[in-house]
Amino acid sequence: MRNPIALLRRRWSDSDDVRTDGGTVDSGQSFWNRDSVRSAPFWLPPFLLVGLFVYGAILWNIVLSLTDFQGLGSPDYSNLDFENYLAALADPIDGLLSVLPFVNGGAVEARSPSWAQLSVEPIWNSAWNTVVLMVGFTVVCLALGLALAILVDHKIRYENTFRTIYLLPMSLSFVVTAKFWLYMYNVETGLINVVITSLGFGAVEIVQNPDLKLPAVAFALVWQFSGYAMIVYLAGLRAIPTSHFEAARIDGASTLRMYRRVVLPQLRTATVSALVVLTVFALKAFDFLFSMYSGYQPGPSADILATRMVREAYANQNWAYGSTIAVVLFVMALFIVTPYIYSQYQRGEL
Amino acid sequence: MARVKLEHVTKRYEDVTAVDDMNLDIRDGEFVCLVGPSGCGKSTTMETIAGLTLPTEGEVYIGDREVTRLPPKDRGIAMVFQNIALFPHMNVKDNISFGLRLRKYDSEEIDRRVQRASDIVQLEGMLERMPDEMSGGQRQRVAIARAIVRNPDVFLMDEPLANLDAKLRVHMRTELQRLHKELETTIIYVTHDQAEAMTMSDRIAVIDSGELQQIDPPLVCYNEPANLFVAGFIGSPSMNFTPGRVTDGGFTSESYDIEFDPASLGLSPGDSVTLGVRPEDVYPAEQRASVSDPSMTIEARTDVIEPMGDEIFVYVVTTDEMEMDFEAAEAGQLLMSVSPDSTIDVDQDIEVVLDRSKVHLFDDETGQAICHGLSPNAQTGTTTETETEAGDDD
Repeated sequence: MRNPIALLRRRWSDSDDVRTDGGTVDSGQSFWNRDSVRSAPFWLPPFLLVGLFVYGAILWNIVLSLTDFQGLGSPDYSNLDFENYLAALADPIDGLLSVLPFVNGGAVEARSPSWAQLSVEPIWNSAWNTVVLMVGFTVVCLALGLALAILVDHKIRYENTFRTIYLLPMSLSFVVTAKFWLYMYNVETGLINVVITSLGFGAVEIVQNPDLKLPAVAFALVWQFSGYAMIVYLAGLRAIPTSHFEAARIDGASTLRMYRRVVLPQLRTATVSALVVLTVFALKAFDFLFSMYSGYQPGPSADILATRMVREAYANQNWAYGSTIAVVLFVMALFIVTPYIYSQYQRGEL
Repeated sequence: MARVKLEHVTKRYEDVTAVDDMNLDIRDGEFVCLVGPSGCGKSTTMETIAGLTLPTEGEVYIGDREVTRLPPKDRGIAMVFQNIALFPHMNVKDNISFGLRLRKYDSEEIDRRVQRASDIVQLEGMLERMPDEMSGGQRQRVAIARAIVRNPDVFLMDEPLANLDAKLRVHMRTELQRLHKELETTIIYVTHDQAEAMTMSDRIAVIDSGELQQIDPPLVCYNEPANLFVAGFIGSPSMNFTPGRVTDGGFTSESYDIEFDPASLGLSPGDSVTLGVRPEDVYPAEQRASVSDPSMTIEARTDVIEPMGDEIFVYVVTTDEMEMDFEAAEAGQLLMSVSPDSTIDVDQDIEVVLDRSKVHLFDDETGQAICHGLSPNAQTGTTTETETEAGDDD
């Protein structure tokens, strides 16, 4: 009877009889003995799964975005073109103009005729919102996180408690944060309006106010993620030896100068890693908006690419156009992540 | 250049007293090492001089000024740190000139000073390099240049060589001495390495449990240690200690006796004392003739032998170790340093003598030294049978 274990062993273990036969190696033997082949049970399954469900899905999505897939039925792959991209990015001037009234506080006006006959709208409005949210949220979050980290780093009492309190919101899901801030922002019972009215001012509509929508979303996200920025900065600060602070003080640096010229430059790595994570979070803030506005209809002043994408696909059944927006989001994320990964690669950390 | 004075400096943390009533008077241009075991308060002492910690009590003077509450930058000091503390994002030149730039010196003056400082520590052609492109020794030189460049009155060095490898450390030791000769600036140097302290300093301040034990030139600390702690800390390998009692005729212990006149030292029979003798003051009995004031012969047995090349360390056991517990056996052990051509072997019966003129006596209660070297007495040279058990060994 053949013993399968022995067979496997023979096949998978280093063969003991090493021969010097002038460089010609038995090819069958060497194939099964290659490290890559012998380790296949470990890397092949995840390789296939990730390849199919991540990279395969991305590729399929790109192909879908080139079709005109709409409504029910299955996509027609015979006629691939960039029509959707042209529509999405159509008329930058008009597109940007369409942004302006809402920046000034108004709603989006009638569309300009050049793209009115298209079945879909360009994405400038939601793209602009995405960028505003991304930049605003990230910058405020980093600044607040740095300030908190510097405060907490001063060997204050109850340091661990503060750290936990600041970090706690991070552990909540987007859905919880959104519902929580809906209460906070409520016109009649929300804490913010209670404070405002008790000071003698009129109550302010926040959640449905086009002027305040995006800031309100950004604020809630800052509340949730500044603790994360703090932890990253705190780790960076802790990595700086005490003697650097002491050396700077002996050399005559004031506290402000010490932080600006000695500490901040050494926090560059921390800033970059926090920046990448936060920006990517801002890009995919879909579930937050989805929960806050009970669906994917936050209105033009808070519409970001992610909500737009889902709305086009599932509400309007513009599957191909939804895929197009997904690709745009994907490219934006690549633009943010690639320089970071490349710099890590150059420093030999990958 | 300035004198540094600490008056009754005490530093208490919540429940620990790190520095306890420290009085130090360091002369202008002196090289003083603060030496002691880890956690003895030497670094805290230096931090109070630097102004990085404020003392709970007491005053600090640098030059003629009282600086107790002054911020570090106004004290005229420069500091070199154990972990070197170069700013990793600045090149060598920017690191050296950091303090000058903060003080708004004009760029010509900065260039001139950086050039001079880097010449002194031999950093030619490295000014544009980043710290992570340099070796440990080079980085330490940059740190020293950063201290020199500001022409401080006092250099504070906190174990600057501790992170370097052994060979480089010895090399940097001589460089620091050369630097001191060249700059003639007061240097206060913290170390736990007594060899560093012995070789470099004009005076050693030995610190233990936050208290100053002794401040004297290295050889005085070595030859006339003020107390048991200093005697044990200075010197490598350290001094032999034998606990015992005073009798009518001198000193007695489990292992051997030494004769002297207790009255002349103000001791009375029954006082408990510890006798200390350095390894190089213990001789094999056959070299008795070359010993200036040999004691009575002590019978012993060799235990472990450590050949060092230029000398051999021999551990001899003066008591019958079979009957002793570990602690007592340790107390009855003597470390002897003999010349490298000696033929002493392990587990061999041997007779040793101590040099009476080099024997130290310490009061057991206070730990303070009673005398360094016993006065010669009439019995010198006679061989008296000791009352130890060791004689019955075979």
